[in-house]
Amino acid sequence: MPKLYTFIKYFCVILWACFVVAPFLWAISTSFKDFNSVTGGATYIPWLQFEPTLDGWSVLFKPGSQGGINIIGPYFNSIFVTVTASLISIVLGTLAAYALSRYTFKAGIVQNNDITFFFISQRIMPPVVLSIPFFLFLSSIGLLDSLAGLIIVYIVLLMPIAVWIMVDFFNRVPREIDETALIDGCNPFQAFFKVVLPNSIPGMIVAGLFCIIFGWIDFFFAFILTFTNVQLLPVKIVALNSSITPWWSLSAAALVSVAPLIIVAFIVERYLSKGNLSGALK
Amino acid sequence: MKLKTLISTMASVLLIGSQAAYADKWGEQFPHIAATGDIPGMCSYEEMSKKDYSGRTLTINTHAIPVMGEPTALHAEQFEKLTGAKVEVTHTPAGDLYSKAMVPFQAGQAPYDIVFGFSNFINDWKRYLAPVPQKYVDQMTDVTASHIAIASWGDTMYQYPVDGDRHYLKYRKDVINNPKMQQKYKADTGKELRVPQTWKEYAEMATYFNGWDWDGDGELEYGSAEVMKKDDLMFAAFYSRSAAYSKNEATPGGFFFDLETMEPLINNPGFVEALTDWVEAVNYVPPGGINFGLGDEINSFGGGQTLFSFSWDDAFVAAMQPDSPIANQVGAAQLPGANKVWNRTKGAWDNKPNQAPFFVWGWAVGVAEKSKNQDVAFDYLCFFANGANHQADIGIGRFGVNPFMEPDFKAEVWTDIGWDPLVAKEYVDTLAEMEASTNRVFPLRVPGTFEFNSALATGAAKALAGQLSPQAALDEVAAEWKAILERVGADNVRDAYAIGVAMEDNKL
Amino acid sequence: MNFKHKYAFLLPGLIVLIGILIFPIIFTVRLSLSGWNSYNPELDFIGIKNYIRLFTEDPRFWQSFFRLSFLAITTVFLQYVIGFALAHVVWKDIKFKRFFRVLFLIPMMTTPVIMTVIWRTFFHESLGPLNDFLSIFGVQPPWLSSPGLAKVSIIVVEVWQWTSFMFLLLLAGLLSLPKEPFLAAAIDGASPFKKFIYVTFPLMAPISIGAIIIRLIEASKIMDTVFVLTSGGPGTATETSSFYIFIKGLREFQMGYAATASFTYLIVMIISLTIIAKVLTKVLMKE
Repeated sequence: MPKLYTFIKYFCVILWACFVVAPFLWAISTSFKDFNSVTGGATYIPWLQFEPTLDGWSVLFKPGSQGGINIIGPYFNSIFVTVTASLISIVLGTLAAYALSRYTFKAGIVQNNDITFFFISQRIMPPVVLSIPFFLFLSSIGLLDSLAGLIIVYIVLLMPIAVWIMVDFFNRVPREIDETALIDGCNPFQAFFKVVLPNSIPGMIVAGLFCIIFGWIDFFFAFILTFTNVQLLPVKIVALNSSITPWWSLSAAALVSVAPLIIVAFIVERYLSKGNLSGALK
Repeated sequence: MKLKTLISTMASVLLIGSQAAYADKWGEQFPHIAATGDIPGMCSYEEMSKKDYSGRTLTINTHAIPVMGEPTALHAEQFEKLTGAKVEVTHTPAGDLYSKAMVPFQAGQAPYDIVFGFSNFINDWKRYLAPVPQKYVDQMTDVTASHIAIASWGDTMYQYPVDGDRHYLKYRKDVINNPKMQQKYKADTGKELRVPQTWKEYAEMATYFNGWDWDGDGELEYGSAEVMKKDDLMFAAFYSRSAAYSKNEATPGGFFFDLETMEPLINNPGFVEALTDWVEAVNYVPPGGINFGLGDEINSFGGGQTLFSFSWDDAFVAAMQPDSPIANQVGAAQLPGANKVWNRTKGAWDNKPNQAPFFVWGWAVGVAEKSKNQDVAFDYLCFFANGANHQADIGIGRFGVNPFMEPDFKAEVWTDIGWDPLVAKEYVDTLAEMEASTNRVFPLRVPGTFEFNSALATGAAKALAGQLSPQAALDEVAAEWKAILERVGADNVRDAYAIGVAMEDNKL
Repeated sequence: MNFKHKYAFLLPGLIVLIGILIFPIIFTVRLSLSGWNSYNPELDFIGIKNYIRLFTEDPRFWQSFFRLSFLAITTVFLQYVIGFALAHVVWKDIKFKRFFRVLFLIPMMTTPVIMTVIWRTFFHESLGPLNDFLSIFGVQPPWLSSPGLAKVSIIVVEVWQWTSFMFLLLLAGLLSLPKEPFLAAAIDGASPFKKFIYVTFPLMAPISIGAIIIRLIEASKIMDTVFVLTSGGPGTATETSSFYIFIKGLREFQMGYAATASFTYLIVMIISLTIIAKVLTKVLMKE
C-alpha cells in the first residue's frame, strides 16, 4: 500500500507540474515565431518546424517609432510601485490585524468580525465602477499620472489582503506569548514588536507575497490612472495588442514579466521551509 | 511678351528645381520618405522645419503598435527632429481607446493633446474636441468628399482625416480565376465560379470550398473568415452583410431607424435575411471561426486559410506582404450585393439587384479643446497626413493607414511597392467605385451609439450560437433599441441621425 | 488591555483605508442615483430609476449571476481540492519538494491580462497546440465556440492560474501546524488516510475557510479571462456579472447604471459570502 501511495503521489505531482509548465513552454516556443509561422498551423520546435526570429523579443526594447515598446522604464516603475505599496500595506495591515486578533472592539453592533469583513469586502467591488471616482479623487489632489497616486490606490487594494491573512495568522499564535511578555514587564507595543512579530514572519512573508503579486499583476487601475508620465508594465505590454494579436511578442512579454516574481517565489519558499511556528513556542 | 514668358518659365524651373532639391534633401535625412522625397504643401517637411516649437511638449494617445501606433510614433520622432518639440506617445488597445479618452474628458481633464479613436466616436467626443481650423481644412483638397463628411459633424470638422476605411470583399484569385477550378465548380454545381455578386453566391462558393485542401499546401482550407466574436467589431461585419438587403435607394430617410418615427428598422426582413445568411456561415468558417476577432480573421485569410474574407483592409494588406505565401494571389471587389432588397414603404421585397458599400468607421484623431498646445497639435496632424508621409504610409501594410485621398486611387502607387498590376488595378477600382456610389451606408453616429451596437452584437451573437432564431434575436435587439431610445431621448437621437441620413441620401 | 493601545494598532490602517475609500464609495452610490452616461456626463438625480431598471428590466444581469456562481464555485472548489492535495504532498517526504513548491507557485504570478492571451492561442481551434495534439485522437473540440466547452476553458485557465493561491495558503498552514496531534496519531497507529481525516483536515479548517472566502471574492471578479478568451460568448454563455458591468460601464459608458449594478452586486455578494462563511464554519468546524 505505501508503494502505491507513493506512486500516486509522484504521479499527481508530476502531472500537475506538466500542466503548470505547458503554457510556458508554448510561450517560449511562440516567442520566437513570426506571422507566417503562427498562421500556418501549430508549430513547436524551432529550426525543425519554423524559422525562429528574435522579433518577439527585440520589440520589447525598441522605441515606438521602430515599432516597439520600451519596457525597461515601465519595468522599474512597476517594481517601485508594487514594492512600496506592499510594504506600506503590510505595515498598516499587520498592525490592524493584530488589534483585530487580540482586542475586542464593539461600536454599537459592529464587532471584530465585522471590521475584518469590512476590510476584505473592499476586494469585492468590481474595479470598473471605481475608475471614475478614483480618477476624480486623484485629480482633485493632483496626483493623476504619478507614482504616488498609484501607490495610494494600490494601498487600498492590497491592505485588505494583508489584514485578512495576518488576522488568521495572529489568531493561531497563542495568546500566552503576549501574556508572558506583558508579565515580564513589557508594554503592549513592546510585546508586539519583540515577541509576537518575530513569530509571525512566515505569515508576513505570505501576506507580502500576495501583496506583491496582486500589485504587480494589476492592469486596470494602472490603465485608467496613468497617461504619459508614469507607465506600468502591464499597460505598456498591452500596447502591443493591435488588430493582429502578436502572439510572439506577447509571449515574450509574459515570460519577461513573470521573471522577477520567480525570484520572489524562491525567497518565499525558503522562509516557509525555515519558519516553523510550533517550534517557536517551546 | 517673349521676355516675360521666358522669365516666368525660368522662374518656374528654378522654383521646381529648388523644390526638387529640397525634396532630395529631406528624403535623405528621413528614409521613410526616400521614395518620393518631400512633397510641397502647407505641412511638408520643409515647412515644418521652419517652425520652432522647442520647449513645447505634445502628448498623444494612439492605438497599439503597429496599426496606427507605429506611424504615430514614427511621425512623432520626425516632428521632434524638425520642430524641436517634445512628443510623448502612449499606446492603447483598440477597445480601450474610447474609455482612455472619455474618462478624463468627462472628468473635465485633457491629459492628452491628441487622441486617436474610431470615427464613430464623433458624436460623443466632439464637444471635447477643438474644431479643425479653417486653414487646415482649406488645404485638404485631395481628401475625398465622403471622408470629409465622416470627419465632420455637419459643417464643422472635428476629426483630422488621417485614414480612410471601408469594408470590401477579398477573394483568392488562384481559385476564382483558375480555369481548372472553374470547370470543376461548373461541373459539380452547374454555376459559374466568379467573384460572387450576391451573398447567396458567396455562401454557395464558400460552402463548396470548405474543408478540403484546394491550394495544395497540405493544410485544410475553409470558406470564409469573418469577425464573429462578440467584441467591439463584430457588428460592423453584420452591417456589411445587411447593407445590400436593407439599404434601398427607393426608401430614403433611414437605414437603422426610420428618421421620422424613430422606429428601429433592425428587425425588418432585410436584416433578418442577412442574419439568417450569417447563421448559415457558421458552417463554412474555420474551426473556432465563431470566436474570430479581427486579428484571427487577418491571421486566417492572410495566412491562406480561407477563400473569402470581407472587412477592413488589414487582411488584404497582410496577404500582399512580400513574404506572404499568397502574395499577389488575392483580389478585391465590392461587397456582395443581393437580388432583392426590402422596401419598407411597400412592406415587401423589391426584386432587383442591389449593392450598398458600407463606409465603416476608420481611424480618427482629434485635438482636445482643453489642450494648451493646439497649434503644435494641428501642425503635427497636418504633418502626419502630408503628401510625402501619407504616400509612404499607405504602402506599409502594418501601419493601418488606408487610402482616402484622390492620388491614392492610382494603380502606380501600388505597383511601385511591388503589387501585381492586375491586383493593384482591381484594388483601386474597388475603392474608387465605393467613393462614387450613391447607395452608401454610413456608420451610426448618434448618442448611445455604443449601446445600440452592443445590443445588436449581443443579439447577433445569440443567433450565431443558436440560442435564438434570427427573427427572435433581432426582435430582441429592436426592443432593446426602443428602450435605449427612451433613455437617451428619441429626439436627441433623431437630430444626430439626421446628419448621417443626409449623407446617405446624398444631400450633404 | 489598555484602551489606548488597541486603537493605536487598529486605527492607522483603518483610517487610511476609509480615508481613501470614502469618496469613491459615496460617489459610486451617488452615481447610481444619476443617469451619467457618455452623452450626459452630469450627476443629475434620477432617484431610483436605475435600480428599478436593474430589478425589473434586466434579466441579463441576474442571469449573469447564475453563470458567475457556477463558474466561481466550480473553480474555487477545484482549486481547493487540488491545492490541498498538492500542499499535502509537497509538505514532507517527497524528493525535490522545494523545486515543486516553487514551481507550483508560479502560475499566480503571471499577469492575467497577458497570460490569458497565451491561453487564447493555446485553445485556438485552428492554430493552437491543444487541438493539434488532440487531433491525433481524432477529436477537435470547439473549446471556445461551444457554450459548454467555453465554460470549461475558462475554468481550466482559472484553475491553472489560482490553484497556486490555495496551494500557498494551505501549505503555509500545514507548515505551521503543531506537532503534537500528529505524534499522538502516530502512537495510535493511525493510517495516513485516517490521519488526514481526523487530524490534518480539522486543524486546517480555519485556514481553509479563510482561503475559500478570499478566493470566492476574487473569483467572482473574473474579468480578464472572460474578456480575452470569449468576450462573454458564445452568445452570452460565459458572461459574468463583472464582465457585464464592465461592458455597461466602460464600453457603453452608462456609468450611472453600471454603478447601480455594482452596488447591487456588492450587496448580493456580501450577503452570499456571509451565508457561505457561516455554513462553512458550521460544516468544517464540526468535525
